[in-house]
Amino acid sequence: MMPPAQPLAQPSPAAEGVAVLDDPLEQGRFTRWVAGPGGERWAESSLQLAGLHCAACSGIIEQALGRVAGVHMARVSAAAERATVCWDPDLTRPSALIAAVRRAGYDAVPDAAAPALTLRLQLQRQALWRLFVAGFCAMQVMMFATPSYVAAAGELSDEMRRLLNWGAWMLTLPVMAFSATPYFAGAWRALRTRTIGMDVPVALGIAITFIASTGATFEPDGIFGHEVYFDSLTMFVTFLLGARWLELRSRQHAAETLERALARLPETAWRVAADGGVSAVSVQRLHVGDQVRVPLGQAFPADGVLEQGDTQADESLLTGESAPVPKRMGDSVVAGSSNVGAPVLVRVLRVGGDTRLETIVSMMRSALTQRPAAARVADRWAAPFLWAVLLLAAGAAAVWSVIDPSRAVWVAVSVLIVTCPCALSLAAPATLVAAARGLARRGVLLQRLDAIEVLATAQHIFLDKTGTLTEDRLQCSAVLLTPGAVAQGYTEASVQALAASLASWSTHPASRAVADLQPGQTDSGDWQQVHEVPGQGLGAQDAEGRAWRLGQAHWAGAQAPLPAGAQTPLRAGAQAPLRAGAQAPLPAGAQAPLPAGAQAPLPADARLVLSCNGRLLAGFVLEEVLRPGAVQAVQALQSDGVTLRLVTGDTAERARQLADRVGIVNVLAAATPEAKLAALIELQRQGHKVVMVGDGVNDAPVLARADASLAMGQGALVSRCHADAVITSSRLLDLVSARRTAQRALAIVRQNFIWAGTYNAVCIPLALVGWLPPWAAGLGMALSSLLVVANALRAGR
Amino acid sequence: MESLYVLIPLSALLVLAILGVFGWAVHKGQFEDIEAEGQRILTDEAPAVDADQDP
Repeated sequence: MMPPAQPLAQPSPAAEGVAVLDDPLEQGRFTRWVAGPGGERWAESSLQLAGLHCAACSGIIEQALGRVAGVHMARVSAAAERATVCWDPDLTRPSALIAAVRRAGYDAVPDAAAPALTLRLQLQRQALWRLFVAGFCAMQVMMFATPSYVAAAGELSDEMRRLLNWGAWMLTLPVMAFSATPYFAGAWRALRTRTIGMDVPVALGIAITFIASTGATFEPDGIFGHEVYFDSLTMFVTFLLGARWLELRSRQHAAETLERALARLPETAWRVAADGGVSAVSVQRLHVGDQVRVPLGQAFPADGVLEQGDTQADESLLTGESAPVPKRMGDSVVAGSSNVGAPVLVRVLRVGGDTRLETIVSMMRSALTQRPAAARVADRWAAPFLWAVLLLAAGAAAVWSVIDPSRAVWVAVSVLIVTCPCALSLAAPATLVAAARGLARRGVLLQRLDAIEVLATAQHIFLDKTGTLTEDRLQCSAVLLTPGAVAQGYTEASVQALAASLASWSTHPASRAVADLQPGQTDSGDWQQVHEVPGQGLGAQDAEGRAWRLGQAHWAGAQAPLPAGAQTPLRAGAQAPLRAGAQAPLPAGAQAPLPAGAQAPLPADARLVLSCNGRLLAGFVLEEVLRPGAVQAVQALQSDGVTLRLVTGDTAERARQLADRVGIVNVLAAATPEAKLAALIELQRQGHKVVMVGDGVNDAPVLARADASLAMGQGALVSRCHADAVITSSRLLDLVSARRTAQRALAIVRQNFIWAGTYNAVCIPLALVGWLPPWAAGLGMALSSLLVVANALRAGR
Repeated sequence: MESLYVLIPLSALLVLAILGVFGWAVHKGQFEDIEAEGQRILTDEAPAVDADQDP
């Protein structure tokens, strides 16, 4: 009974499934429209690829797509396994693009989550089966090989040896015919496109080893001698597949996490018809000019303008700032942000690929594909290595055919076997995968293995402020009582309790900070007619009918300024006296409203006041909360000799204040995304490698351009999707430990290279002069692979 | 020692049979969610205590 040789070779949806992609509605799911150089209308589609296993594959797919008539440009990102194709809708169709990728020996589906999931599952099953076949056969072959290692001379009869060799050959067949096919397929693809990747020397090595051992099995007196290497061969394939399996798993893990995040995007919208009837429709079916109803707590389905109702929008998706932005009638809202204020009606202005969110996402993608790839180091060495090995083998055969023609083939084959680049091809990937798994256990999800090298060596780190160094919530650091309040018998505790119970009616970050003064309080007090004025504060009446207000100083109304002496600071260092903002009591609501959005990112030290019947009772000092471990992380990085820089869009004063709290000297404040990017490029031009740690969309261009980028787990979706790594725990100390892990991994890669190089340097001369006994060659191959893998596993600890 | 002439081919066949069984299991999805089986005992709506032990 033989295992089926090619199960699920290329998982492919039925042909009619591909034809559906030409439907404009389906096309919109993965295509956006761009203007060509001459102003023509071009389509830009994203495809999810399958079957890639090295950086060289991206070039092959790019060529295959480029040959399709009507394709103007195709870019493939091997790390993300995605392709971006720019094509002319008059000349070709999406189904033709997918057919071209399939003809090249890979598979592609539109870049949408659901089909990608099935594709991943099939890839994963097949990789697991390949690994199991190789591993299980390797164990059994090892058992058949053991007698010839342990038997004393003459103890093993020739017939028994042939029987054992035959058994080992039988079990090596499935490994060669099934498990090792990715390497032969990869080598064949590389040869056809006249490029040489690491697959070529690997495939050559295992093929030669198998042929020589097969010859030795069936014709012990033939030109290949009588020694077999089935045990080394199967073990080597198992190691290679094991490393590839682990790499596949960690890549898939990162992809799954991202897809779960992406699933947050809205899919159903409530469209209001002309007669006032509401119907649920697919977001794909929304048109510009439609009116949609957006219930409280739902996401806005498209970019649009508020037509009816006032609300607040949580735009953390786009900005990373969690403070809700007040939206009034006529304000614009952005697809993907959530409606957290009240149910509203929205007129659709832009849909699908044209929305601001999608535009930013595709801008980020193009920034990423333009970044130079560092993954081709191993492939750069593959071609010279291969030629050197072939030359040596040919030279040895030529020399020996003069000295002793009967040994010429044997020597050439033993050179090829000895140089089979097992250890070399395992050295870097095994280590980086082990390090990535170790990082994932600590809460740092790596999406691009190359980032490890940059993270370990970079001497400059840019840190964003809000959301990265600080949490996106506020805390109340001091309560200040007016003399009037003291005279009326209020104490700090009673004011805190009153304010906290009123504040617990609101979800605004400032209110939450005040409510947190009485943590765990469930009693919301005896308040009546509680109302929230966006951007101003909360108002309510108590049981005696007195009007209370908690909010901005000029709105809540202040009769008397707070004297400095009346302070009761909760914490040293937070004695900012309350500013006498409004001297005269003003009738409620008589002020001009603040410009919309002015309160959105609540400033550090934002002040709230509590008033009763327009008389000021107390003030609350609010400040940003540092992330736990921020100070220690900054200290640890600086003592490692890393230059830290705080880059923020916030004002210079507040940035300086925060920088002093954590101990950062170098500050770039009031910076637009362009200014941040310019600062980064300037450093890169000086030859430095820069790591960016950020969270919001405003950090996105810098994250995309930086040599390595880390996004906070609570940050904006776009940043998380495209950063090299996501700190899912949002703990800054994890950045320090990730850097240490990366440094250790890099040291281990160097050790592995040195070992693999030494092994080859020692063995090749021995094989050339015919002094390398076959058992020693096999043992050396196995040991060097084992050593490299064992050493690599240290990186994950 | 003669028995080895039967046993070695037999063990080779057995290995191939095991590979077939494993391939069937993989493609049936038996290894997709290994952790879940271990955790099911914690999540099931099973009675925590016997009726007579109720407080």
